[in-house]
Amino acid sequence: MVLDQLASGLVYSSIIVLGSIGLSLVYSIANFANFAHGDTMTIGAYTSLVTFGAIGGLGGTVLGLPFGFFVALVAGIAMAALVAVVTEKVVYDGMDLDSIGLLIASIGLAFIYRSVVQLGFGAQSTRYGIQSLRPIEALVPYGIRVTQHDVAIVVSAAALVTGLHVLLQYSDLGRKMRAMADNPDLARVSGIRTDRIKLWTWVIGAGLAGAGGAFLGLYSQLTPRMGFNLLLLIFAAVILGGIGSVYGAMLGGFLIGMINQLTPLLSDIGIPIGIEYANAIAFVIMVVVLLFRPSGIAGEAS
Amino acid sequence: MTGDTTTTQETASAEPTDHVVELSGVDSGYGEVQVLDDCSLHLDAEEIVCLIGPNGAGKSTVLKTVFGMLTPWEGSVTYHGEDIGGMAPEDIVREGIGYVPQTDNVFGSLSIDENLRMGGVARDSGLESVMDTLYDRFPLLDQKRTAKAKTLSGGQRQVLAFARALVMEPDVLLIDEPSAGLAPNTAKDVFGHVEAVNDLDTAILMVEQNATEGLGISDRGYVLDQGTVRFGGEADSLLDNDEVSKLYLGG
Repeated sequence: MVLDQLASGLVYSSIIVLGSIGLSLVYSIANFANFAHGDTMTIGAYTSLVTFGAIGGLGGTVLGLPFGFFVALVAGIAMAALVAVVTEKVVYDGMDLDSIGLLIASIGLAFIYRSVVQLGFGAQSTRYGIQSLRPIEALVPYGIRVTQHDVAIVVSAAALVTGLHVLLQYSDLGRKMRAMADNPDLARVSGIRTDRIKLWTWVIGAGLAGAGGAFLGLYSQLTPRMGFNLLLLIFAAVILGGIGSVYGAMLGGFLIGMINQLTPLLSDIGIPIGIEYANAIAFVIMVVVLLFRPSGIAGEAS
Repeated sequence: MTGDTTTTQETASAEPTDHVVELSGVDSGYGEVQVLDDCSLHLDAEEIVCLIGPNGAGKSTVLKTVFGMLTPWEGSVTYHGEDIGGMAPEDIVREGIGYVPQTDNVFGSLSIDENLRMGGVARDSGLESVMDTLYDRFPLLDQKRTAKAKTLSGGQRQVLAFARALVMEPDVLLIDEPSAGLAPNTAKDVFGHVEAVNDLDTAILMVEQNATEGLGISDRGYVLDQGTVRFGGEADSLLDNDEVSKLYLGG
């Protein structure tokens, strides 16, 4: 039972982590809490839906997923990144707002993204049209009920997170992103074209959100509110990890996803708290951690 | 105090000059608040020029206006005769001017090596060899290449801040209060580094609260007060000037 919960926690965490990283990256470089981030995930999911519907399976499968789904995933990542870049250029960049103004503008954009999706696809839920799988037989004797799709989500998320780590630590762009997050004034003084770095940050942050959204659609289903509904948990993850820290967001996302999925264990050990309180428990744990570490687990005390 | 300035600068200012950096009649400030008021001064090749004066006189504002962090409201800022007023810092650094801020002048969460690499983002080529040269010159950085900059002491940070600006091999280095917050011995070391940088044919325009020490290593100096130049001239003559020492050097 515990193993099963841990396994499903890992799957759910993978999706939360993909969402959390982008929120934290954008916070550290564009300097505001982006409330449209959840709906950016929705855009990724629905772009994948449309793309997959258009191209179909393309023959073979990997981990129970048609090749076509991976192409659709890439399309979802690309569209989420494109929408974020256009939004930055057209809205945020032109508005000359402080971080609170940008935050409020992003709430408006969240409504716009969601409304456009709802206009196109209706408010009801939908699915990719990929057949659901039975749990992997070999793991059932251990009480673990995960599908190949779940494995695909975890492996893909791990690959994306690893790729981001390599980019941040070893590439020129990654170093500039870290430098800009550390000290934007000194970055400009050093000659870094900070506008370009900010655009790349949007591409990466929104791209990962798009991937998270596409996987969320696979994990459960697609609705126009899917990303927004997850946003509060993602904020909790980012704050728990230390807002502005990418590695904190990874850790926070992992913990929040795990806590969420481990809630059923409480009733198993006789504590009468049902799974409907899963999010509430995650928030309580976040608050308790912040009482002791106000800047989050990996946050710099300022 | 009639308020007349006793600058020894060119009185016949009509002929074109070959100053490396020149401010003429510059007004500048932050938002609505004016700090510089008709400020004129210059820096020649291979010089060290020190700006002194009371707090709020506009010394740091001069550096920020030269480096494009502030746009002059009036007057001109030229570099080798070319108007650079209002150019963005990331472009000015490519022209050959470097800037070392007073505080937060290293990337604390980046390693020493990464700090130097950030100093060289605008270089087209030769980054590795210039970094090797800097490591040779500053062995303490060489020993700590992979350490995070925030682990350095105040004096070591100041050296890293210089080195970061030097990766571009600038013509001109603007340094804001290099000795601020340092113990006297460390400050002395930092001034030594300023002189060593100058020996590489880099002209230096430096703001310094510690006026006597700052002028001590400088060729010339200016006394700023209320955003304008009150006195200017050879560093020694400023140190010997009774009025300057009474008003600005604390006796």
